[in-house]
Amino acid sequence: MRLLIVNTLPKDDPAAVSAIQTLGEAVPDHRVVNAYEMTLRPCAGCNACWLKTPGVCAVRDGYEELLKAYLEYDAAVFLSGTALDFVDHRMKNIVDRLLPLATMYIHIVDGQCRHVPRYEKKLRFGLLYKGTADEAYLREWMDRVMLNLGGSSLGVFPITQAEEVPACI
Amino acid sequence: MHLVIISGAARPRERSNTAKIIAAFQKGYEESGHTTEVWYLSDRRQWANAAKAFADHDHILMALPLYVENIPGILLEFLEKLSPKAVPGTKLAFLLQGGFPEASQSRCCEKFLETLPGKLGCTYAGTLLKGDLFGLGLMDEKNREKLLAPFTEMGRYYARTGYFDKQTVDAFAAPEYMPPNQIRMYNLVFKHISRFYMGRIAKKLGCRERLDAKPYGDIS
Repeated sequence: MRLLIVNTLPKDDPAAVSAIQTLGEAVPDHRVVNAYEMTLRPCAGCNACWLKTPGVCAVRDGYEELLKAYLEYDAAVFLSGTALDFVDHRMKNIVDRLLPLATMYIHIVDGQCRHVPRYEKKLRFGLLYKGTADEAYLREWMDRVMLNLGGSSLGVFPITQAEEVPACI
Repeated sequence: MHLVIISGAARPRERSNTAKIIAAFQKGYEESGHTTEVWYLSDRRQWANAAKAFADHDHILMALPLYVENIPGILLEFLEKLSPKAVPGTKLAFLLQGGFPEASQSRCCEKFLETLPGKLGCTYAGTLLKGDLFGLGLMDEKNREKLLAPFTEMGRYYARTGYFDKQTVDAFAAPEYMPPNQIRMYNLVFKHISRFYMGRIAKKLGCRERLDAKPYGDIS
């Protein structure tokens, strides 16, 4: 098992440090990407990743490293701050920019339109959040996100419960 | 009634489907003498004025495209920085547009939008949602006007009511799911036609790859 940990909280945030340690001890073969320091930009909505340079994001700010890592690792866990009882904009920007992993093509799965995934790999993403949030809603949202990527959610937990994640991987 | 419209689309105004929908909505809204002002968050220089307009006025409409099951990150960042209103009485409505045809695709985001006004010191005034709008910027003027006409009508409706009634907007958003016969037709015919057209659009944009290319290899 190889685990990707995407930390959107400051590198020295005590909750993030503790969660990363917990995950790292449970999954020795892991990699931590400190996305907070990368100052990733929002999705520009340009559709280049679907229609101009398929699979490649036009915003060149280092996010490509993450796209490659999602495909390389067996699972990914995101560490996120919260806002308005949801994930914060840093995390949402990272999720918005998953689009290159899907194609423009549409197929119908269980009665609903879905983008045809670009890669065979079944993505498995989980979320640890720090702060106040509507956990039931976050779970529903993550399920929907992963459904549209043809993958599955590993679940959503408060960051203080990082020890719950390895059992879900 | 003066309506402040804030566009949460990431695309610049001239290439934004949300901006085109806003323009159609404005047309209907302003017919009976009401006024509007629009702020575009795609231009960061407008953020301060948009925040001031939110603070100073009590009828707000936030228009946005559906981005991965919720609001775009750029709009979330703007909302995080807003100070909630201390005095009650502001009505906050939403106009949510998406690419997939079914209204059911927007329900997860709608659920979040329903909670937002309460967190910003406002009263929820409903969400007008509609899918199947991806091609808005790619079609000719005549077809675009046809597609946008219902939004002008909804502008008139909102000017009269000041609220998006759930039953009215659900009828506007239909279909909730694609009917089985439409799914069969899509799988048999339209899927292939749409792929053909996507290929043509891509070619026009200068694309030299297959649309299902795997630039980072096929790792499974």
